[in-house]
Amino acid sequence: MLTTRRSFLIGGLAVTAAVPLSSRAVRAAAAFGGADERVLVVLQLGGGNDALNTVVPHRQDAYYKSRPTLALARSALHRLDDDFGLHPSLGGLAPLFAEGRAALVHGVGYPKPDRSHFRSMEIWHTADPVRPPGSRGWLGRIADELAERAPGSLPALHVGDGDLPLALRAERSFTPTVRGAEGLALRANAAASGETRAALLDRAASSEPRRELEFLRSAARTTYRAAERMSALAAKRSAVVYPNSKLGERLGLIAKLVAGGFGTRVFHVELAGFDTHSRQAPVHAALLAELGDALSAFQRDLEAQGVGRRVVTLVFSEFGRRVEENGSKGTDHGAAAPVLVCGGNVRPGLHGTPPDLERLVDGDVPFTTDFRGLYASLERDWLGVERTTDVTPVPLFA
Amino acid sequence: MRHPLLEPWKPTRAEPWDRAAAAHLLRRAGFGASPTSLVRAVEDGPERTLERLFAPEGHAPELHDGITSLLASGNHELLQAWWMALLLANGDPLGERVTLFWHDHFATSIAKVDDVRLMHRQNSLLRAHGLGDFRKLLHAMAKDPAMLVWLDGNQNRRGHPNENFAREVLELFALGIGHYDERDIQEAARAFTGWGTDGREFAFHRDHHDDGPKTVFGKTGRHDGDAVIELVLAHPECPRFVARRLIEEFVAVEVGRDVIAALGAELVARDWSIAATLRTLLGSKLFFARDARRARIAGPVELVVGIALALELEIAPREAAALAARMGQALFRPPSVKGWDGGRTWINAGTWLERVNAGLAVAESFENGERTLAGLAHAPAEAAEQALERLFGGDADPELAGIVRSAAARRDSPRAAFAHAVAAITSAPEYHLA
Repeated sequence: MLTTRRSFLIGGLAVTAAVPLSSRAVRAAAAFGGADERVLVVLQLGGGNDALNTVVPHRQDAYYKSRPTLALARSALHRLDDDFGLHPSLGGLAPLFAEGRAALVHGVGYPKPDRSHFRSMEIWHTADPVRPPGSRGWLGRIADELAERAPGSLPALHVGDGDLPLALRAERSFTPTVRGAEGLALRANAAASGETRAALLDRAASSEPRRELEFLRSAARTTYRAAERMSALAAKRSAVVYPNSKLGERLGLIAKLVAGGFGTRVFHVELAGFDTHSRQAPVHAALLAELGDALSAFQRDLEAQGVGRRVVTLVFSEFGRRVEENGSKGTDHGAAAPVLVCGGNVRPGLHGTPPDLERLVDGDVPFTTDFRGLYASLERDWLGVERTTDVTPVPLFA
Repeated sequence: MRHPLLEPWKPTRAEPWDRAAAAHLLRRAGFGASPTSLVRAVEDGPERTLERLFAPEGHAPELHDGITSLLASGNHELLQAWWMALLLANGDPLGERVTLFWHDHFATSIAKVDDVRLMHRQNSLLRAHGLGDFRKLLHAMAKDPAMLVWLDGNQNRRGHPNENFAREVLELFALGIGHYDERDIQEAARAFTGWGTDGREFAFHRDHHDDGPKTVFGKTGRHDGDAVIELVLAHPECPRFVARRLIEEFVAVEVGRDVIAALGAELVARDWSIAATLRTLLGSKLFFARDARRARIAGPVELVVGIALALELEIAPREAAALAARMGQALFRPPSVKGWDGGRTWINAGTWLERVNAGLAVAESFENGERTLAGLAHAPAEAAEQALERLFGGDADPELAGIVRSAAARRDSPRAAFAHAVAAITSAPEYHLA
């Protein structure tokens, strides 16, 4: 039998164990879900991304009239079709469209748009524009369903450093937060002995067996196994060079986990800072560059590792911004906006009803596609789970 | 007549009042114990220890009032740090334990309220009424401005009732599912119309109030909000609901309906005094039973404060609050109106690692000399015993103690032995049971 001495947990921990490499890998894959299942990455642009300066309607005079200082010159855009072009900083994404691996849906939103960041995000996170939010988000519901199918798995992960997003809150499963590129890891510490940890968990049931104790032991074992596996995967090299950014780092980790068969099916990651009320141009350009460069590296990485067809990324923001720029060279909270979907077998190109800046509602682009229809397609057609709402799916996939 | 399980517990030769029993009481009625407070409790016996919990020294005024100047900052982390400072100073362990319990029960989050003054005000209200008359507590919470913002009081208007608050009063605050119907909620919501805020104060907006007749629990009248709260309090399930919550929180073993009913009857007989009812519960045979000890998974705040008290750690309250938040319990920020689900839901791969890593960080600080233990033994083996005594109150089972000793063995300094023992203990699942 092939055995190897390898670190029980990385991070400076002294303990190594002789383990049969192949069977361990098999067991780990079985414990954490299949290695060939489809994955959804939700990338949130926090703060309300200025949709019109992301996907620019360069043939509409109203765009240039409404935005005397912020309008982008047609010549600087990356062409999408005759009517629309991507922001100059989104060069990274242009090949995805050119090669048919990305889609845009115009005018995504919901009825009676709410201009509060908090409320609108809550609506996107719960897929419910009407009722006050319960304790479960749309991805949390999916996680519950997936956890029921594969008990003990980690169906969803939050990769970021804030609170767990409402979208991921679940009722019957748990969603850990992974803060950095090192993944879930035990603190590197000389006082942490894997031997001791193992001894603490491998004890025979105590004379007074307590259910909560057994639960904790099993949770600890699962955790160490997940951390070990994640640490091992996180320590690998990416297939491509990622831009030096938080988003790049996080997407890089997600690619390693997916390619390594970690088994998580839903990831949530955020790029924040899009609330550009004043002097928007340089801030917005930098954010979009971070987005475009990281996302294109991610897509290339996944494809290089042969898992590009297994991963779909959804990029959304809680709302777009108003058509008219404000008096401080910025834009205020608006309504509907395009949503980007890439990877997998997505139907490439531009979908939905293009915004017409001559026909605004309260100065905003009105929504023409309900975001819940996109969720429904991701649920039914991509992940193969139940639908959160009964809104008709918008067919996103070939 | 009292239920036999609620009769006062008397120590016996077989089940003595020892360090383990005293530590159990101090963990449940507070956040654990420093070595001196544990010794004192053992010497005092259960009666006097309980008495002292109900009549504490209290908070140092400068600590308690220190928040006033900080509220202007609007910074939620400072508010968290302030409360954490009260917990760490341990001047009123039971009072704070109960305040945290009610914060979870009437769970309100700054995520929506978005105002530290309102959150502080609600916290003060919970502290002021937490051991008082439950009827007053419920009435006060119904008019608490943070609660009104949280559950959309301002949107609850005649002709357009918002049922959010009415529903939660019945479902989560006072009765529980199964003891009312949807119509009761709709009618109660009408009674609460017009209850909102004006600035940071409760306000009754008469023009938004629906003063028509309503039928709640079969009783018809021109009920207003106060009348509905009275109807809720008069509902036979209400005292049982409160009793059940107290037992779940403080005893954490499954009990029969007869025990719940008996404690509910006690609440009513004691004029709804939460203190008197809790005194009965915390002194009862039920509470001290073997199977009640270390039967529940400690919440993050309990765990962090518990380690700090046991090891007499110098720790910045803000850091302690941030640690608890990473483990899943951000003060003033419960995940929903249901509060923290607690129990097993505290534990997931992320939070378990946070817990273990927090213990490792503490161990490391002792090992590298960043922290020192006052009175650390000279012999490494004795240092390991000190860690066991402090963190386990002496009730680690022999096998567990053996693992801890061997983790600390062969260390050449007491400092290192102590650190390794702390690392082993805090990563033991047993340590996370309270």
